[in-house]
Amino acid sequence: CSRLHTKPSVSPTILLSNMYQRPDMITPGVDAQGNPIDPRKIQQHFEDFYEDLFEELHKYGEIDSLNVCDNLADHMVGNVYVQFREEEQAATALRKLTGRFYAGRPIIVDFSPVTDFREATCR
Amino acid sequence: SRSRSKSKRRSGFDMAPAAPAMLPIPTAAGQIPGANPAL
Repeated sequence: CSRLHTKPSVSPTILLSNMYQRPDMITPGVDAQGNPIDPRKIQQHFEDFYEDLFEELHKYGEIDSLNVCDNLADHMVGNVYVQFREEEQAATALRKLTGRFYAGRPIIVDFSPVTDFREATCR
Repeated sequence: SRSRSKSKRRSGFDMAPAAPAMLPIPTAAGQIPGANPAL
């Protein structure tokens, strides 16, 4: 895969690039200062993120699917895919999120061609 | 279980970057725009 994916001009799905950052993103189970992190804290951190996200996004429309890439590898790290019921709702979300910040980092938002996450692998 | 009503955490949305993050962002080449590398 060249990873040069086409970005559709409209889609029910939006991609928030690299939005989720694990507290142990540098070394698994260890924070940036080198101290071990309780796995429950990592889980709580993720749940807080998910809750923030859901509360913000459901203002813009009905969410069919909300996928967070909670991985440590470079590829797709922290990507969030949000599939709305309607393309129009996704367009509203894209418009409303563009130029804003989450936890001190800019939100990078685009439409995503993915509409079926079981078939989302790149061929 | 924790109370959802009173001790609501502040959302991370619209949390602006801390001051150091406002410095010029290095380009892909790792250079600060406008700054000439010492030759």
